[in-house]
Amino acid sequence: MSERQLLVGPFNRVEGDLEIKLDIRDGQVAAAYANSPLFRGFEMMLPGKDPRDALTLTPRICGICSVSQSAAAAFALAEASGARMPAQGALAAAILHGVENMADHVTHFHLFFMPDFARPAYAGRAWHDRAVQRFTALQGSAARATAEARARLFHIAGTLGGKWPHTLAIQPGGVTRAPAAQDRVRMLATLRSFRRYLEDGLFGAPVEAFAALTTIAELEAWETGDAGLFMAISADLGLHLSGFGPRRYLSFGAYPLEGGRAMAPGLWDNGAVTPYDATQITEDLSHAWMLGDTAHPTQGQTLPDEDMRESAYSWCKAPRLGGRVTEVGALARQAIDGHPLAQALAAEGSTRARIAGRLLEIARLQLLLEDWARALDPDARFMGDQPTVKAGTGAGLVEAARGSLGHWLRIEGGRIASYQIVAPTTWNFSPRDATGTPGPVEMALVGAEVAEGEETPLSVQHIVRSFDPCMVCTVH
Amino acid sequence: MSQIETFYDVMRRQGITRRSFMKYCSLTAAALGLGPAFVPKIAHAMETKPRTPVIWVHGLECTCCSESFIRSAHPLAKDVVLSMISLDYDDTLMAAAGHQAEAALEETIEKYKGNYILAVEGNPPLNEDGMFCIVGGKPFVEQLRHAAKDAKAIISWGACASYGCVQAAKPNPTRAVPVHKVITDKPIIKVPGCPPIAEVMTGVITYMLTFDRLPELDRQGRPAMFYGQRIHDKCYRRPHFDAGQFVEEWDDENARKGYCLYKMGCKGPTTYNACSTVRWNEGVSFPIQSGHGCIGCSEDGFWDQGSFYNRVTDLTQFGVEKNADQIGLAAAGVVGGGIALHAAVSALKSAQKKTQDRKSAQEEV
Repeated sequence: MSERQLLVGPFNRVEGDLEIKLDIRDGQVAAAYANSPLFRGFEMMLPGKDPRDALTLTPRICGICSVSQSAAAAFALAEASGARMPAQGALAAAILHGVENMADHVTHFHLFFMPDFARPAYAGRAWHDRAVQRFTALQGSAARATAEARARLFHIAGTLGGKWPHTLAIQPGGVTRAPAAQDRVRMLATLRSFRRYLEDGLFGAPVEAFAALTTIAELEAWETGDAGLFMAISADLGLHLSGFGPRRYLSFGAYPLEGGRAMAPGLWDNGAVTPYDATQITEDLSHAWMLGDTAHPTQGQTLPDEDMRESAYSWCKAPRLGGRVTEVGALARQAIDGHPLAQALAAEGSTRARIAGRLLEIARLQLLLEDWARALDPDARFMGDQPTVKAGTGAGLVEAARGSLGHWLRIEGGRIASYQIVAPTTWNFSPRDATGTPGPVEMALVGAEVAEGEETPLSVQHIVRSFDPCMVCTVH
Repeated sequence: MSQIETFYDVMRRQGITRRSFMKYCSLTAAALGLGPAFVPKIAHAMETKPRTPVIWVHGLECTCCSESFIRSAHPLAKDVVLSMISLDYDDTLMAAAGHQAEAALEETIEKYKGNYILAVEGNPPLNEDGMFCIVGGKPFVEQLRHAAKDAKAIISWGACASYGCVQAAKPNPTRAVPVHKVITDKPIIKVPGCPPIAEVMTGVITYMLTFDRLPELDRQGRPAMFYGQRIHDKCYRRPHFDAGQFVEEWDDENARKGYCLYKMGCKGPTTYNACSTVRWNEGVSFPIQSGHGCIGCSEDGFWDQGSFYNRVTDLTQFGVEKNADQIGLAAAGVVGGGIALHAAVSALKSAQKKTQDRKSAQEEV
């Protein structure tokens, strides 16, 4: 029996800093501890400010999901003030947000996740040459095509939001930019060109075909495009046999439109989808360098423990739903939205399931974005009333690319009195809670194989990256 | 240095055509405010001079600067940029991980000792011995000092590295400080903005390669060619400001007509940056064009200057002591002269207790 400890990090090609401590026994991970070593203290800066300033401050939490942060802030303010987005305003906000989520997904697959398969350690595998050609970091043909397609896609964010990252256009009462008829035409053209990029490279087939997959057997039979390459790699390396999370998923539901959220909200547990109860969300601080008790975000506070006590190991709080560990992300969203393939993948809960769930969302989101852009009506109103608010509370619950993002806000005397944020990676990379139960990624790493002498285990890389961590959001 | 390839070599290897290469050179010349005569000069430098090695490190930040960088206007600019950084060290984009990555950093420092540019995104927090930002088990401030020691110059990318930005907003929980508070013995070029415009970022690196010197800096240490004018000076909505035509409420009739956003809190009149000329996301737009005022993200301490939705006060123009509410009546037909403008700028700036070297900017332009 051999035992050793391994500290893995820094992880590159990850947004922000991350360090993971592994206990390794007999060539397998026996326990994992995820540490988010970066803390900035946003929740301490917000109190005392004009509530509207949350719209500019919170996006700075993260430069890759800043629209998600601004949307969450806008919805929290809307709830506190009673502002309501007109239908077209909500549509424009959904397009802006969907474009960002889409960009995050293709970036993750092409620039963050797949390059690991181009590593020399995999030389000799049947798929390795193709992986090198497509995905070598920064040089592979897919990496280059992605950077370009992504920049083009962001023309839409430019048109609707003025600039990306850190777009300012989403407000509690709608969006500041009413797109003109020619903007709509231009956005549709941009989406057509993005569709070509997806169909030429990623899927090697119409996006509709991928979105229509219903079973794992059909998915396994998918051979075209980089999605097919991934499936071949996954079958060879057994990515469906590793990285098992808690198999309990949450989605706040994505893209609030007039008729409800375009992707349904809910809690997926053991194959059944039920409504989630937001009052059951708590943040446990037992293993975080934070002071205070376990509390709902409306009661929560952020007081860093400057002594960095021994019993804790991360700046990250541990969010739990009904006291239990819950995973969030594209897979959760698609399963809860009722897609049959995603439901099967959610039950599998593996490394492969997370990646395939994300690919599925890319295909479905492309279709949604096209519908939304077509439905834009330049003559309608895009902004409703924005009442000023002296006192009140509000929650902004949205879905960022990486999963459920919540802002909880309290306003007193016209100023922010309290502001708490729970980000997707806070859920997924949470440390242990008071019962000692590990967070989703810590759970998923148990059982990962580590070869003798391997210092940066590849299995660990794949599992960690399958969550698409965004560490700057995690702790903020 | 002969063993280091040129940028052009790198680009050729990546399959970039001569035509696109020349296009990049002319776009960059334009972005730098240089005439067409400089295009061959830039091209020559890119073809013959050894590529500038760049080490890119990240402190407390949100990676928005990298994000902005990798979607520079011209697709080629992005390739150039990616070649600039990929060959050396960048911890968000590079391939290596863990200990290999740390080894790569050491190797790069050793190989290009005294010659590389250190690009810093984000900033170091000093409270609790720097424990709020740990890279590879050590406080980021140590990595920063270490990497800076053998650098030729430092580029402070973005508002975080230049001024502290959001994590330094009151009460600055981690005591995050800009790079120049920690590194005092190296030339530092500040490229503020949250994030800075991609073209500004590529322009600065290309300029340094072409002319073998730092670009002209204003007193705050910003490249004057990009930060020499206020957003307001070149804003396409400026005529409405001068005519006293303002948006009064979001998406009102005036907003649809594209009137000035001053009353909605636009900070364009006090913000020095190139947004209104270079624009964003491949020249598509910029915040004011999207109907939202400028928040002044390239200015020092912009987080703590009052609400983003409060209007700039004490704004005078054309030497007339009237605020924008009154001026609309009188302004029809007035054409602003440069000198009067400068006077207004100085008054405004001193009112804000900021130092700003307008002279150097003027000479550069």
